[in-house]
Amino acid sequence: MAIDFRLIWEKLPFLLGGAWTTFSLTCVSMVFATVAGLIVGLLNMFGGKVLGTITRVYIEAVRGTPALLLILIVYYALPRIGLNFPQFPAAAVSLAVCYAAYIAEVFRSAVESIPMGQTEAAYSLGMSRTQSLRYIILPQTFRRVLPPLANEFAALIKDTSLVAFISMEDLLFRSKMVSAATYDYFSPLVGAALIYLVMTLPIMQWSRSLEKKVD
Amino acid sequence: MADEELHSMGRILDVVDLHKSFGTLEVIKGVSFGLDHKERLVLMGPSGSGKSTLVRCLNWIEPPTSGRIVFDGREVEPGACDIRKLREDIGMVFQQFNVFPHLTALQNVALGPIVVKKLPRADAEAEAQELLAKVGLAHRADHKPGQMSGGEQQRVAIARALAMHPKLMLFDEPTSSIDVELIHEVLDVMVKLADEGMTMIVVTHEMGFAKEVADRVVFMDQGLIIETGTPAEVFEHPQQERTRNFLSKVHLA
Repeated sequence: MAIDFRLIWEKLPFLLGGAWTTFSLTCVSMVFATVAGLIVGLLNMFGGKVLGTITRVYIEAVRGTPALLLILIVYYALPRIGLNFPQFPAAAVSLAVCYAAYIAEVFRSAVESIPMGQTEAAYSLGMSRTQSLRYIILPQTFRRVLPPLANEFAALIKDTSLVAFISMEDLLFRSKMVSAATYDYFSPLVGAALIYLVMTLPIMQWSRSLEKKVD
Repeated sequence: MADEELHSMGRILDVVDLHKSFGTLEVIKGVSFGLDHKERLVLMGPSGSGKSTLVRCLNWIEPPTSGRIVFDGREVEPGACDIRKLREDIGMVFQQFNVFPHLTALQNVALGPIVVKKLPRADAEAEAQELLAKVGLAHRADHKPGQMSGGEQQRVAIARALAMHPKLMLFDEPTSSIDVELIHEVLDVMVKLADEGMTMIVVTHEMGFAKEVADRVVFMDQGLIIETGTPAEVFEHPQQERTRNFLSKVHLA
């Protein structure tokens, strides 16, 4: 079975349309997940007992269940209790809720990787906890957080393919549509793989170069 | 200056029956001592003797388990006095420098006054530049700690502490993490501070520094003060077996 590159080329605009859905969904979800993840992470570390427990339960619940489950709940189950989301927002909300938990852990481990001596030095100058977080800990955290965040971004690009389950026409779904129409199950999927790689490889490369800079 | 003369007569610090435990492990088992204005005290003792913990209790970086600390006429305990205000008046220099790696030398020194004392940035940076000159690092103002030697980083840390105009400086093994050939850079700065009349408590094994600078040497072991006296008394005529033992090991090293 040969790969029909002419078919890929012919269907490229159609596939790229799907890739645009993949990419825009990734970006929207990532922005919300990062903001929410930072807030959840900070609450988990510094929010006290109650907020600490609530955020911990959320983080572990999300990390312990498939992302697909969350997407299905938001798109199919929530409407039963009157919460209707169109496809794109449903997908973005589910993925953001899911990735916020992972990103909260990214922020937590970055903060914990800053040596205690930094906090002690800030305290010894008379800084409050908030001041030491703002001027000493968080600025150092943001550098360390960029490489793992880039990795999460690449992972999210791939996980958006789960939205095929709610019939969103992302890159993977459209490549399957081409397969169904042409009975060629090989070429469209290879085409999709190549387009995914074009999106993920530069990000992973960037992440590696950032890691080197941090060291 | 008359005011300062008056102060120099008095006590700046009194520590009474201080205890500190980590869980069930008691690290400081009832330590009492006092310190006058402009006095220089050197704390010595084997590792695990509690000398670092003691110094860290004085500015509440390590909250003591029990005991009294009276600093500059204020009873130090949460509630009785603002711990943060206390820390503004007590400078601390750490064994691992703990300079802020994301900031330049100048920013390291200026940050405390800007954030804590709300000093205008320009004023704080002008004074930071003077302090860096004082520790011999005027030419390194725009460098980050990653580009500096241990000796340079520690001098930035000293300038950073001085920027808060502390009434007492605590040095917790300031030269223990520095390459041997660079130790003198840091000690020279500390001697200069002592000459200017800074009140200091220094945890160190640098005998030369202790002999040159210390008014008093305190020897600690197993969470207790074993012996105290002038450098000549403690180094030349140690009264306690444990002090003699320790000194012979330090001399060998």
